[in-house]
Amino acid sequence: MARRLLALVVVLVCAGGVVAYQVSRPARAPADPRVFVPSAAFFLDFSPSFRTSAADAYYLSMVQYYGEHVNGDGRLDSLRQMVDLVTRLSPHFTRAYMFGAFALIDAGRPDVGYALLKNGFVENPGDWHFPAYLGFFAYRYGAGKDKDLAAAGWYEKAAAIPGAPSYLLRLAATLSAKGGADQKAIVMWGQVYLGGDKYVRQKAVTELDSILPKDKAARLKAVAPLYQTMPKADFAALTAELFKGYAP
Amino acid sequence: MSEAAVRVSGLRKTVHVGFRRRPVEILKGVDLTVGPNDVYGLLGPNGAGKTTTVKVALGLMRPTSGSVALAVEGLSHVGYLPENPYFYDYLSGREFLGFCARLFAIDADARRKRVDELLRDMSLEQAADTHLRKYSKGMLQRIGIAQALINDPELVLLDEPMTGLDPVGRVEVKRIIETLHERGRTVLFNSHILSDVHELCSRIAIMREGRVVWEGAVAEALDEAPSLEDFFMKVVTA
Amino acid sequence: MNQVVAIAVNTFRETIRDRILAVIVVFALLMIVGGLWLGSISLGEQGRMMIDFGLVAVTFFGLIVAVFVAAGLVHKEVEKRTVFVLFSKPVSRSAFIGGKFIGLCGTMAVVLSGMGIFLFALVWIVNRQPSWMVLAAVVMVYVQLLAIVAVTIFFSTLGSAILASVLGICVFVAGQLSQNVLSLTRLGKNPVTQVFSWVVYVIVPNLSAVDVKAGVVGEQTLAWGQIGLWTAYLLAYVVVVLALAALVFRRKEF
Repeated sequence: MARRLLALVVVLVCAGGVVAYQVSRPARAPADPRVFVPSAAFFLDFSPSFRTSAADAYYLSMVQYYGEHVNGDGRLDSLRQMVDLVTRLSPHFTRAYMFGAFALIDAGRPDVGYALLKNGFVENPGDWHFPAYLGFFAYRYGAGKDKDLAAAGWYEKAAAIPGAPSYLLRLAATLSAKGGADQKAIVMWGQVYLGGDKYVRQKAVTELDSILPKDKAARLKAVAPLYQTMPKADFAALTAELFKGYAP
Repeated sequence: MSEAAVRVSGLRKTVHVGFRRRPVEILKGVDLTVGPNDVYGLLGPNGAGKTTTVKVALGLMRPTSGSVALAVEGLSHVGYLPENPYFYDYLSGREFLGFCARLFAIDADARRKRVDELLRDMSLEQAADTHLRKYSKGMLQRIGIAQALINDPELVLLDEPMTGLDPVGRVEVKRIIETLHERGRTVLFNSHILSDVHELCSRIAIMREGRVVWEGAVAEALDEAPSLEDFFMKVVTA
Repeated sequence: MNQVVAIAVNTFRETIRDRILAVIVVFALLMIVGGLWLGSISLGEQGRMMIDFGLVAVTFFGLIVAVFVAAGLVHKEVEKRTVFVLFSKPVSRSAFIGGKFIGLCGTMAVVLSGMGIFLFALVWIVNRQPSWMVLAAVVMVYVQLLAIVAVTIFFSTLGSAILASVLGICVFVAGQLSQNVLSLTRLGKNPVTQVFSWVVYVIVPNLSAVDVKAGVVGEQTLAWGQIGLWTAYLLAYVVVVLALAALVFRRKEF
């Protein structure tokens, strides 16, 4: 009986020690911003059957890593390697590219994010999100006077992908005009006019009016390319709006 | 075709044991003949080679040299009860006998009837649907005998059939062996219980160290000694 | 044929009554807990994570059942001496091996179906639409595990149950790396290495060829014709391995 009691006391003391130690540990262990990330080559040489599983596991790890550090020490030293690993193992994992690109902004490397999205677009040419976000990156983080045109180019590509929202073409047209590519902007606004409802058409007319020369002859010359790119009836309706108030 | 139910001629069996595969000769030239409708007792001290002889007869082991000839073709007409049998403890008695019957390709109706009959004969009706893991030693022995008889065999080989049985069980098994004999079946059984051998067997063979040292009718043995036990001791210690 | 069926039914009973189905329950609980957890940390990719990790779990649990049960099937009969009951009847060694394999295939089908249907339902709830490819992927996992069952049964005729289990798992891993071995046959400069690589490539079953997990999550376009051919290859492989097992088992004495 005494032996059993002693055994029980020992077990209870051990159990109490285990629980007390666990409970007393800090709620959030300090995490090292530099973590070991295996190379994608290791997994690519491994079985194709488990690549996506490895990618998913590292994706979750990447999200946790970002969450631990972005509001903490702000250091995301290993983020780039993690993103590279996940996207190389699972090139069609679009969420990983999107998350990774924006997380890399927080890591101070929007250029790497931009390159990541470009790779993603190569692997997923049918997904309009990639060129749309590339347009954003080009506009927001690009340098030099050509950034507007670069962004416009991306938005134009995105708008051409089936399923893309209509505002992308408007963005492309606005940025083309801003970047000085007036002729291109005019053609794009013509496309916007074609595909829009009455409010979008009104917007297209307003924007075209601001881009086109005021001189009638010059205005006519500027809208001439639209004749090639629009059905006759729509061209007639558009030009009627654009030349309202002009003498016949 | 041989008249004998079982004819063993010059049977030798060598096994290789241990890491170095040391050869050990278990059977050193066994000769014995079991006549049709005999109740034949195979006796001997532990390690004499009785079980090995039976295993070779059944094809569970291959002879190194010599031969075993059975009057029956193949194993379809043979029934066997191993020593200290272990069966599938997750099956009930009925399921186990049904499984054994199926191995003999007995059709479903005949299977059902035969299983019921054997369960009745072995007084296992009450426990028919109980898992074998809950059976007592005696019940296991009885179900073992039942599976040995499932195919109504011509030749029945029983290795220590009385092991674990209470007196009632032993009487029942003896009755079964007698019934088999009356129905013209041949029974060969190993046993250490010489009183049972005396009661049931017409002929016996005594083995020692891998050889048959004596074979003949029980009556002949009793001519040479006051009891079968005395005769047995005389032969194995000679 | 009767003997094969009788042994198969008996094996199925044995394995099912061994509380193997508890694996399904453990899997189900794991998936529910895992699913809830994934939902909170995957930034909207719960469906994909559930499919991927669910299929890995099906593979893992299925492999454990396949290897450990298959390894014990033959070994248990010999250890517990029920072989005496079996082989004192007109049962061939081949029928025994065949029956054991078929019986365990039945059990594996039940276990994998249970896990597969549960995973399918869970993914349907999360994604709000059915993903029939999940069921196809589970079927392919089953095909892979048939090969592993056959291989493990073969190893169990040669040695102990533990050794057979370990070797069965090794063959599964090697089967996933089959493509790498094929690369070695092409890249190796040493003819001995090349020949050795070829031998290993032929002997080890190419399991990754019928794995469709990547296709289920949209990473791969699946060529069902090719997968069908590889499935037929694996089934032929099973037949060869079982024949070898029967050959080895024929030499065994009890």
